[in-house]
Amino acid sequence: MQHEPVVRLEGVTKRVSSKTLVENVTLDIPPGQVFGFLGPNGAGKTTTIRMMVGLTSISQGDIKICGSSIKEHFEEAVSHVGAIVENPEMYKFLTGYQNLRHFARMMSGITEARIEEVVRLVGLSNRIHDKVKTYSLGMRQRLGVAQAILHRPKLLILDEPTNGLDPQGIRELRDYLRHLCHEEGTTVFVSSHLLSEMELMCDSVAIIQNGRLIDVRSLKEIREEGQSAAVETGFVVDDPEQALSILEGGTRSNGLITLKLTRDETAEMNARLVRAGIKVYGIHTVTRSLEEQFLEMTGGDPIG
Amino acid sequence: MGNFFSLVLNENMKIYRRVRTWVMLGILVVMNVLIPLLFSMVDAGGKTSLWDSVVLSSSFTFFLCTIFSVIIAADSVAGEFSWGTIKLLLIRPWSRSKILLSKYVSVVLFSLLCTVLLAVVSILVSGILFPSTADSSLFPAGKTGMAFALEYLLCDYVNLFMTCAIAFMLSTVFRAGGLAIGLSLFIMFTKGIFTTLFNPERYAWAKYLIFTHMDLTNHLQDKTGPGGITLGFSLAVLAVYYIVFLAVSWYVFKKRDVAA
Repeated sequence: MQHEPVVRLEGVTKRVSSKTLVENVTLDIPPGQVFGFLGPNGAGKTTTIRMMVGLTSISQGDIKICGSSIKEHFEEAVSHVGAIVENPEMYKFLTGYQNLRHFARMMSGITEARIEEVVRLVGLSNRIHDKVKTYSLGMRQRLGVAQAILHRPKLLILDEPTNGLDPQGIRELRDYLRHLCHEEGTTVFVSSHLLSEMELMCDSVAIIQNGRLIDVRSLKEIREEGQSAAVETGFVVDDPEQALSILEGGTRSNGLITLKLTRDETAEMNARLVRAGIKVYGIHTVTRSLEEQFLEMTGGDPIG
Repeated sequence: MGNFFSLVLNENMKIYRRVRTWVMLGILVVMNVLIPLLFSMVDAGGKTSLWDSVVLSSSFTFFLCTIFSVIIAADSVAGEFSWGTIKLLLIRPWSRSKILLSKYVSVVLFSLLCTVLLAVVSILVSGILFPSTADSSLFPAGKTGMAFALEYLLCDYVNLFMTCAIAFMLSTVFRAGGLAIGLSLFIMFTKGIFTTLFNPERYAWAKYLIFTHMDLTNHLQDKTGPGGITLGFSLAVLAVYYIVFLAVSWYVFKKRDVAA
């Protein structure tokens, strides 16, 4: 049963009056992964997440978390979930600790020691007894993570968790999520439109656009694909004229000649240039980042 | 999954950890000291008795009691929406019904606290300032001052209880605290006008309006009110309205999609 998906979305559709926000999304999220949910603004990421945690009703289809339907057995299903939906809003007139006590009381079996442990994990020990209104956004985000993991959920859902965080904060969050996933076996579901972020954080990504799921891939696959595929390669040489006769089909701009080559072809071309007595000052491969692949897949379509 | 009492504890924490709540309770105490004090200054010949003072002062201060309870009731659900914390509250292993119930229970507890505080302070201060407990002409014959005063407070509480139910419903439906406070106070202050305009003596259907029944103190003087309304009839009408208000709150809260 190890590989039973933590979350199953079965033909999930959300309609609001005549608009279809999410259309027939079917997706299994395997356990023990950081799973990314990627899409441009307005693609239906947050709507899908809202349905997963029961904040919004599902027009069609069903979502099962650890085998329990969020529609039929909400309390059972949601007890496996910790989440931050959009911004980590807390009770500002309470202290961080009181906020955590508040959410701890709503779930069974959370001891004082567990609260202390979580506070230490997210690095808020020094400020936990201050009112939340004195917190910075980064601290609120940490408190948000703390309330989400209090009950050691099997599934942690974070909606755009890096919004408004500084690079330091983003890095800490990333390390922290990796730790949770690999040490505690928590499945982490993160939505984002920050593609570079996903590249660093996730094991797999699902890509959604205009409410439709367009692709689900493991990042390892994407990276390997990037290596075997021909990529745009640029040569900086002293004699572009002569070089162009060797690099057939290349285009010249100033001292730079670019053409599409695989890794092996690049080495071969370099050897030929050197043999012909041309000085090669540099070779750049314009690597296709996830970002470009993503833009390619979504076709840069406007929000519809 | 845990126990319901801890939900109520949470709601209470959110009420009593705010400075605002203590300011309101403070004002309530101060007013209930000040008003009997004012009476004692203008009291000629010492004819006022303890229970006269209690009834008179509470007829002023109960407005405050209602307003404060309405503020808490109106903020209970609407506050969670405006703070955005509703999203964190509703993704716990608790049904929406139970969460709403815990909120309603905490509102009722607060209104009881206000009322008890008002009664205790008012009786204590009046007791010190007006030692006489003689029954006065203010009260209907055959009733002791104490019985009348307590019944009067009870009627006021029923009024408050209904106003809070309205505020709670509006708060749940519109998710806007200001609107809920405004509308329920509007009803509280204009119900007299409504009863005058639509007098059950003249219009038979006016017997079924909520405005006609919210102020039960009439029944303390006469057995039957205008249009032959009995206390039992008033209570029955109020009960129906009450059930409708709560049913609307529950239905809307359970069905609502929580979106930004």
